[in-house]
Amino acid sequence: MEKKLTTEQIDQLYTFTRQHYVEWYDLQTELVDHLANAIETEWQQNPKLTFDEVLSKEFQKFGVFGFMDVIEEKRKFLQKKYNQIVLSQVKTFFTLPKIMLTIATTGFLYMLLKVSQYNGELVLLFYSILIVFVFYAIISHWLKRKKQIKENQKRWLLKDIINQYGSFAIIIIFPLNIFMRIFNHSEQFLNSEYAVGFTSFFLVLGTIFLYVIFVLIPKKSEEYLLKYYPEYNF
Amino acid sequence: MKNSQLYKGSLNTIIMKLLEENGKMYGYEITQRVKAITQGELNITEGALYPALHKLEAEGLLDVEIEKVDNRLRKYYKLTEKGTTETVNRLAELDDFIKTMQRLVNPKLAF
Repeated sequence: MEKKLTTEQIDQLYTFTRQHYVEWYDLQTELVDHLANAIETEWQQNPKLTFDEVLSKEFQKFGVFGFMDVIEEKRKFLQKKYNQIVLSQVKTFFTLPKIMLTIATTGFLYMLLKVSQYNGELVLLFYSILIVFVFYAIISHWLKRKKQIKENQKRWLLKDIINQYGSFAIIIIFPLNIFMRIFNHSEQFLNSEYAVGFTSFFLVLGTIFLYVIFVLIPKKSEEYLLKYYPEYNF
Repeated sequence: MKNSQLYKGSLNTIIMKLLEENGKMYGYEITQRVKAITQGELNITEGALYPALHKLEAEGLLDVEIEKVDNRLRKYYKLTEKGTTETVNRLAELDDFIKTMQRLVNPKLAF
């Protein structure tokens, strides 16, 4: 009779992939089936070998980097998908009807910075709020993820990418230097209408990006999972 | 993989050709089929196969399906419409490549 893997051994294979840094259910599933097939085939020839012996033999075939290549390729693909999602969501703020809101907010900010004598402080305040918000969101996700790992919940690579905010999150820090300058020389910088216009628009654009990355997409993450993993029938 | 550098560029075409012939296949099945057809001459490594499959899927050339087999889930790949058209192109390209190579390495046979 052919030797088949038990459900318990399948679970062991899931644990094995996790131990080899495949933390995501979508990738684990494919690799588990592959290893299981390989083990069962090997058993047809050498039925006396134990589960662990055959497993380590089969894993060696993946090469020195183990599952790394498999993970990397998949991550690259999903990262690209994620960037597309972000851009397409940001774009909606520049089409009707949302563009009205974008224009109105930029206009309001422009007027405020033009009129107020504390415009330098205001710019710095808005910018600080954005930065604080980014740090809050990153830390809160980090805690959630820790809990997920601890409780051994199923994780999806796309969802992890969504919750890690891609590589976008960090760009908010880059213009810090520019904003400090604006603050220190506000009488000079915020005198020109172009500078005020540009600063207002930049702050609004930054807010849109952060809103999309930290609020909108995470809220819709189940929807995206369904779209990009239709085969799993959640 | 034996002579890996030479076969590497054709891995995608090999996968697509197999899927064209067999409809849907899963990863392990593909490695075994290639081994059987080439009588062990070409052994696709797992570390090369899955990245290639995921890339083809990302390009919209392959579609995936999950089925429960025995006590586990199995991921099947099949060609999309775009994939089927692309297979024809790539096979033609491969054919040209083989002919050119033959002319280069063995000029006498070509004429």
